Amino acid sequence: MIERLPSGIARLDHVLNGGLLKHGINLIVGVPGSGKTILSQQFAFHNASAENPVLYLSTMSEPLDKILRYGEASTFFDRSAVHDGRVVYEDLGHVIGEQPLDDVLSTLDGYLKQVQPGLIVIDSFRAFHQVTHDTAEFRRFLYGLTRRLTASATTSLWNAPYTREQALDAAEFAVADGILALDIKRVAERELRVLQVLKMRGGSFRAGEHAYRITEAGFDVFPRLADTGVDGHYEMSSTHTATGIAALDALLGEGGYWAGATTLIAGPSGIGKTLMGLHFLHHGAETGEPGIMASFQENESQLARVVAGFGWSIDDPSVRILSRSIVDLNIDEWVYQLLDLADESRAKRIVVDSLGDLALAAADPVRFREWMFSLTRRCSRAGVSLMLIVEVPDLFGLNRISEHGISHLADNVVLLQYVQEGSELARALTILKTRAMRHRPVVHRYEITGHGFALGDAISLTR
Amino acid sequence: MNLENILTGETDGAVYSIGAVARMVDIPASTLRAWEERYALISPARSEGSQRLYSRAQVEQLRFVKAQIDAGASAADAHRLLAQEVHAGRPPVATDPAGGPRALVLIAERDPYAAELAEHFLRTEGYDVAVALDATHARQLFHQRAPNLVLVDLLVSGNAGFRLVDEFASAGPAQVLAVSAVDSGEEAIRLGAAAFLRKPLEALRLVATVRDLINAGGPVRTSRRQPARA
Repeated sequence: MIERLPSGIARLDHVLNGGLLKHGINLIVGVPGSGKTILSQQFAFHNASAENPVLYLSTMSEPLDKILRYGEASTFFDRSAVHDGRVVYEDLGHVIGEQPLDDVLSTLDGYLKQVQPGLIVIDSFRAFHQVTHDTAEFRRFLYGLTRRLTASATTSLWNAPYTREQALDAAEFAVADGILALDIKRVAERELRVLQVLKMRGGSFRAGEHAYRITEAGFDVFPRLADTGVDGHYEMSSTHTATGIAALDALLGEGGYWAGATTLIAGPSGIGKTLMGLHFLHHGAETGEPGIMASFQENESQLARVVAGFGWSIDDPSVRILSRSIVDLNIDEWVYQLLDLADESRAKRIVVDSLGDLALAAADPVRFREWMFSLTRRCSRAGVSLMLIVEVPDLFGLNRISEHGISHLADNVVLLQYVQEGSELARALTILKTRAMRHRPVVHRYEITGHGFALGDAISLTR
Repeated sequence: MNLENILTGETDGAVYSIGAVARMVDIPASTLRAWEERYALISPARSEGSQRLYSRAQVEQLRFVKAQIDAGASAADAHRLLAQEVHAGRPPVATDPAGGPRALVLIAERDPYAAELAEHFLRTEGYDVAVALDATHARQLFHQRAPNLVLVDLLVSGNAGFRLVDEFASAGPAQVLAVSAVDSGEEAIRLGAAAFLRKPLEALRLVATVRDLINAGGPVRTSRRQPARA
């Protein structure tokens, strides 16, 4: 096991499987503006100590004062660490003379002996390319540099403004032990920051693109949900979670859905899908199972009115609201808000209103299905029952549920629709699917009263 | 710690953190702080961030105190003895007559960069250093110069380092410190090395290990028989 140098950013360290390769050469590549300098400084301050100071070297391309000025705006920037020499900032730019690359090496020799840094950051490495156009000379320099760094007990972090494609061709790629790429992707009209590990010698890491955000506190990373499903057997729940609608529990035969199950509620606009979700959550709240209403449809004020209309209160501490608009929604980021809130509130029930909003935000349908699979898996393992609301366009008969390929993941599918009875329009509920339970696929009339759902008799559909 | 001071060669300035000193002299940091308050004798400088920074001289003073305590004195007596030494203008130095600050370390290392760094760190600490970049030269220097300690890279001249450890350990009385990028502590200790360190070598750890091995004289203190591991 190769030792790691953590970033102190828990979810980034999770992606890196612990951090940078200790005593290795680590490269951060990324287009301008992707946050290379910020991330490097975050590594610097997190790992700085009196015994193992950090040496931060700017090069000809980045004036040191600029790095410092903008660095200081971040909350992780620790001025005392700079004062007492735990983080030493130096400018390589002015040591460059007649023999620039040799000067860099001899200056570095001095630093290795005198500063004895535990971490050396070079920001940015590309400047060395611009010193010479002689490939052979550059490779000799790179070799000399690598030899020196390998001999000393120091971890290296080099920055370079390359795209992921360019990074593959750069000479540094071959000598680097670990490479982390930062990128800004354009998805439709939106910008999405993603990071990806391109190389990690002798160690594992979380593959694929992971969303990240830069705040005053530095990097926040949202590792893509990618549960393989081969992570072994887990205890399936043998209890049931009541739906909050007594007649429906009776219909389901066993007193509700299986705990930890995923239930899809499909139906057209205005039919009462959200209300079913509220029944589910508030019944949970009454029976000691806290829940979360994750809504993109209604903000808290709107939801408060709906909830109050049926005799519940939005202030019920056992039903937490996670509401946000779909504007600039990033599902990878959002899901951590959901999972963190679920952890914090010990939620046993989660309602997502609605699935279509998430699918829209996801942009990539294949990735969305993986993501959804992982989310349902996690909920199931944690014994959290998930209710997903899906809007269907058809008011009457139903041709198909546009559920983004999720219905095979769902344990239960409940369809709500309008039916015509003579001259009247009635609401009807059908249980289309229940996994590992017997049910009768009968269409039942229901009404929405001041107390919510009132399930009625079975009806025969006439068309 | 300030880069300018360091680069101007002020290596005898206050550079060691309390953690590093605790490791070097094998006294817990909490004890160091307690002694500082109680006896007001060894008072490290403070960084701007209020971190304690010890000088080499203070590390030597702590070694002196430690040696007195190891010999049976109380902490108070050890500090009184130190105060007498300081008043008499005798700066305490490592006490072992066999070792001493001018002890010779032979480095048998295949990587010239690693050898140069190790040489620099040891010279800075007051050791004489001889460097051999292959096994033949190492043997030659070992017999000519009779070093107090040999630092052997197990992979010098292919894998000749293993044989060197065996030879030098049997020849005595030099202590053998084996190093390698590959975790080979078991084999090295079996062949007679007094300690093993994994490369790359951290300066403080290297210096502390070399000093421990030379001053403690190896087998006298049983706790030193345990191989030191990086």
